[in-house]
Amino acid sequence: MKFEIEDITVYFPYDNIYPEQYSYMVELKRALDAKGHCLLEMPTGTGKTIALLSLITSYVLSKPHSPLKLLYCTRTVHEMEKTLAELRLLHDYQLLHLGPAAKILALGLSSRKNLCVNSRVLAAENRDSVDAGCRKLTASWVRALAAENPSVPACEFFEQYERAGSSAVLPPGVYTLQDLRVFGKEKGWCPYYLARHMVQFANVVVYSYQYLLDPKVAGIISKEMQKESVVVFDEAHNIDNVCIEALSVSVRRQTIEGARRNLTRMRQEVDKFKATDAGRLRAEYNRLVEGLALRGDLPSTDAWLANPALPDDILKEAVPGNIRRAEHFIHVLRRLVQYLEGRLETENVEKESPVGFLVSILNHAGIDQKTLKFCYDRLHSLMMTLEITDTDEFLHIQTICDFATLVGTYARGFSIIIEPFDERMPHIPDPVLQLCCHDASLAIKPVFERFQSVVITSGTLSPIDLYPRLLNFNPVVSRSFTMSLTRDCICPMVLTRGSDQLPVSTKFDMRSDLGVVRNYGRLLLEMASVVPDGIVCFFVSYSYMDGIVNTWNETGILKEIMQHKLVFIETQDVVETTLALDNYRKACDCGRGAIFFSVARGKVAEGIDFDRHYGRLVIMFGVPFQYTLSKILLARLEYLRDTFQIKEGDFLTFDALRQAAQCVGRVIRSKADYGMMIFADKRYSRHDKRSKLPGWILSHLHDAHLNLSTDMALHIAREFLRKMAQPYDKTGGTGRKTLLSQEDLEKMVVEGGLNDMLY
Amino acid sequence: MSSSQVVKRAKYKTTVKDPGTPGVLKLTQEKLLFRPNDRTSNNKLDVEFRLIKGHKHTKEGSNKPPWLNLTHAQGSYIFELESFSDLHVCRELVGIALSKHAEATKVISEEQLSAVEMAQRIKLLQEDSKLQKLHKELVASGKLTESEFWATKKKLLDHDESSKSKQRIGFKNSLIFDTKPTSDGRINQVKFQLTPEIKYQIFALKPAVHQAFLNFVPSKMSEVDFWNKYFKAEYLHSTKNAVAAAAEAAEDEDLAVFLKDDEILEMEARKKVRRVDPTLDMEADQGDDYTHLPDHGIFRDGSKEISEAQHPLYRRTLLQDLNRQGAVVLEGKTLDMEMDHPKTVAEILARRKHESDGVIEEERRNRISKMAQIEDLQAQDNHPYAPLCIKDPREYFDSQQVNAVKTLDESQAGMEQVRCNLGSEEAYDSLRTSISKIKATGLRDPLISPEVALKVLNGLTKNISNTKYHLGKSSQEGVLDMLPNTTKDKLLDHWVCSQELLRHFWSSYPVTTPNLINKTKRLKDAISQLYSKLEEIKVSAQSDLRHQVSLVVHPMQQALDAALLHYDADIKKRNARGSKPNGYV
Repeated sequence: MKFEIEDITVYFPYDNIYPEQYSYMVELKRALDAKGHCLLEMPTGTGKTIALLSLITSYVLSKPHSPLKLLYCTRTVHEMEKTLAELRLLHDYQLLHLGPAAKILALGLSSRKNLCVNSRVLAAENRDSVDAGCRKLTASWVRALAAENPSVPACEFFEQYERAGSSAVLPPGVYTLQDLRVFGKEKGWCPYYLARHMVQFANVVVYSYQYLLDPKVAGIISKEMQKESVVVFDEAHNIDNVCIEALSVSVRRQTIEGARRNLTRMRQEVDKFKATDAGRLRAEYNRLVEGLALRGDLPSTDAWLANPALPDDILKEAVPGNIRRAEHFIHVLRRLVQYLEGRLETENVEKESPVGFLVSILNHAGIDQKTLKFCYDRLHSLMMTLEITDTDEFLHIQTICDFATLVGTYARGFSIIIEPFDERMPHIPDPVLQLCCHDASLAIKPVFERFQSVVITSGTLSPIDLYPRLLNFNPVVSRSFTMSLTRDCICPMVLTRGSDQLPVSTKFDMRSDLGVVRNYGRLLLEMASVVPDGIVCFFVSYSYMDGIVNTWNETGILKEIMQHKLVFIETQDVVETTLALDNYRKACDCGRGAIFFSVARGKVAEGIDFDRHYGRLVIMFGVPFQYTLSKILLARLEYLRDTFQIKEGDFLTFDALRQAAQCVGRVIRSKADYGMMIFADKRYSRHDKRSKLPGWILSHLHDAHLNLSTDMALHIAREFLRKMAQPYDKTGGTGRKTLLSQEDLEKMVVEGGLNDMLY
Repeated sequence: MSSSQVVKRAKYKTTVKDPGTPGVLKLTQEKLLFRPNDRTSNNKLDVEFRLIKGHKHTKEGSNKPPWLNLTHAQGSYIFELESFSDLHVCRELVGIALSKHAEATKVISEEQLSAVEMAQRIKLLQEDSKLQKLHKELVASGKLTESEFWATKKKLLDHDESSKSKQRIGFKNSLIFDTKPTSDGRINQVKFQLTPEIKYQIFALKPAVHQAFLNFVPSKMSEVDFWNKYFKAEYLHSTKNAVAAAAEAAEDEDLAVFLKDDEILEMEARKKVRRVDPTLDMEADQGDDYTHLPDHGIFRDGSKEISEAQHPLYRRTLLQDLNRQGAVVLEGKTLDMEMDHPKTVAEILARRKHESDGVIEEERRNRISKMAQIEDLQAQDNHPYAPLCIKDPREYFDSQQVNAVKTLDESQAGMEQVRCNLGSEEAYDSLRTSISKIKATGLRDPLISPEVALKVLNGLTKNISNTKYHLGKSSQEGVLDMLPNTTKDKLLDHWVCSQELLRHFWSSYPVTTPNLINKTKRLKDAISQLYSKLEEIKVSAQSDLRHQVSLVVHPMQQALDAALLHYDADIKKRNARGSKPNGYV
């Protein structure tokens, strides 16, 4: 359908639209007009992504003189694929109605691991080896060698891409990662470099958060994005965690050992070069004197991860004199590694500010702050000079240098925490020195400053006023939409008591109580016998899930459960989890029905949809609080309290509840869908916890469903399922319309009735 | 075909030891004839090839004379030919003849009947005299073969067998528990059960164990030893003592096979993961995650799990096992795998579909684009029927009435599309308008034209009134009741017979195999016989009853006529066309 929002014509690829999608577009459009940032919360299952895509593309189409670029950030690759599939649908629709004028170039960008088509490189197991494998074939010096000596292997795809030169372009269209691979294979061009090149010209780029937020990657990929861009962070409820992780580094014993090995090898390389090609080292020295650490234009294939510090904080100066010579620099690094190793040998937990740490380094190792700050640049330059291609072998020394650079750069918002062992396993010594960032606003600041509009959106952003404080920005629009439902297609319940009427909880003192474990098991068993198709269960942690599943197994509950449905479990191995999910879907498809055990904050909770028959019921066992004894968390809470006046308790509850809401929100994808949500913990019945849930869940949480036991929940479930099995009028009947056709929409705009409905 | 007939001198022996009766063996494609030289001998043979089950012969160069051995149901006919070259000629012909009859025998006569089935048939015939009569009439006279006759009576036969389910049984959801040890908790003892079924389940769950079984069992250790070892390993797992498991594995390399992770599974997993739905592919995410470079990001904030890194090799968890069993259950049983001869693992793996990459990619793409659409935003399918929702039967009935009227209305006027959900008001409105419309204009196109209706009505009532009028009897009595009992019985028998024949006749079209040609021919003959019999009845009937008889016989004859006509037309068509496409024979 096609409709007007103020001065632009929106092309929407469906015949009907939800009213909240319309109002979402209106708000978004206002934010774009104001060239400001916005924060929009809209419930899952209301078609956020397509609303966003159609408004922004239509906005661009109606203002051809101001080309806006859309940078769409997703958390995971599979969300990227989903987004691109929706975009393709939209693009086809626009092409149909506008003809070739609507042509755009949209593509997804990922790492070499997901884009490479060279079978030799792809044979490597992990991402880092693939990256290194690529470098081994495409680094500028390797290619120079290969040009002279045909026996040196080169990547035929990259060579052909290079040879094609400026004619190597992607024709307009929407390209998923798969399409890129297919196109690359067809043309014989390297899809990775082609995509990276085309990113500058594309109208829509879909990639991972990290490509904008993590300076190590953003420095290479997103350096040249224009200011006139709209940046969208979809499913952004965890964005603060991504930001702080992007600026955090940890050093362990393995790191120290690895770094030692790396330094030894670099030393050998330097000696070798001294003997054979001393001129090269001298040239590097001269370049550094002139202050050209890495400022020159490097070929894209030589670039390795960029500086871990944010671009504004990188000093534009010459590298200090004491580390210009390669052997001096290696020596400095040796001292640094020595010092860090000494610090790791501690008996107690130590917490220090970066400033204090710097003083200590200066006193004990004689390395000053400025030297530390340049560690990354100097290392990068040295690796380039030494023509090192197996970068995956050198990750350890990289870590040390990243650490040094970050410590040298930031005095605020970080702390250094040294722990001799993990608190949960005190008998296993595993010392770790962590530089952790507490301030999420640091990493995202350059994004807010660089780009015209940043849209942060998700199904769970409650409380919505917290995010601007955490991320330190001023949104021009900040709205939370409710969901207008045709029927009560979601049924949240709070289960506080088990079948024996005793309270259930994952509170620390109760979680290993056999009675609670049994009650949880009975709950699942009873539900499995009533609910058709798929059931998803979320536990608070892997270890808790492992424990409870083993107990269920020993007590025979698991066997009983499996008489109703097959059981699949998320493990820490992604391949296994992926296959388990695939099988879970198969079992739901074939009618056998299945249960999926998963972990809140885990990978599955982050991005897998359990819509339609893949999830008719989701049970959240317990409240997914963070591990509150974690020193890092405590340090972050302290920082939040001191800087943003956010109370510890509030933050913890907020964080736990957004995770819970995120987990249960996966069951709904459209208004035609339906699902039940059980919060199985007595703590959810307390107002201070419950009120942190997003409004669209709260509005369906009846008072009668706040304090249920297993048998009552079972009864409600039966009723609900029977009700949902009835056909219904999708448009919402005579009262509030919940599905608008084009006529409805036009009529409402004319009558001004839409505003009543929206607000 | 070299020749359709072979005549050779041969000796016929009833047994190997028998010196044999000299004579002449004549082989055609249909049968074999043996005439002894001595006319008085009673060893004459005239056997059709369809009764011959197979043939054997002695090898040239062996010290035995050239014997041709034709086996039949009771024994075998052995012919000693004069030379091996004769034997070859005969053998060739026998081979051709047998292969020709092989498919025929399968279907027509000698279907392998178990004693049970036979008994069941006999029982059915005994219980049902009509069936017996029919059977006698059709089968005994050769109009239908035994198997053809019973083919249409499957339901009767299956009646008792229905309790025996033919469905292949899949795996239980909880099969994994069968393969786990049980202990009663009182004594320090663990029990394992082992049946062929459980063995099979273990093999399915753990390809590595299967592989080991194939490698070790007869050659390296006995089966009992193998299973002892296996369960020992299982026991070590169940104690969850990775250190002990590692220690045991170090000592005994055979045991290590069971304790280590399954490499076959891993390889399979890697292969499979390339095929999963991209919206699930979490492995791809890892490739994009630069925050979690080794040692980057936050390492120990409690969200990440800790695991004892020692002996990761021997740390198979229950969770992994559960996932694996789920996959196995979904895959279902590979065809009845025989426990005694386990197929090689490679074979099982090869059985999995080997689709080309292109197909997979295409499939993935289709799936994802389907997933991307939001169903209820799309235009609704306009079915003119209300979905079945009977909360209030009256309301549902009323709304359906309106729909029916509206459809009728529209089919005439071609008005706007039917909408499926109508309120009662709307329904009433539309009913009123359509009634007033009919009042005003009348029905423009009545359903049936009056002339046709009158004709049909006359045709239907004519006979009734006729008979009634002529005989002055109550209409309750049928025409048949007026006929004498003998005629009536005869007619009824013929009727049953003709029904049966016709059913067989029509079900054998289209004719695609020589068998069916044969069958239709036989049926046609039977039908024409029956036709003439009916004619006879008609003629022989007493003159006052002749009309009634013909009334009854006429429709029967018509039906038979139709069959005969069809047969002739089909034969004509068949002969007319030179090349026969579409598998016509």
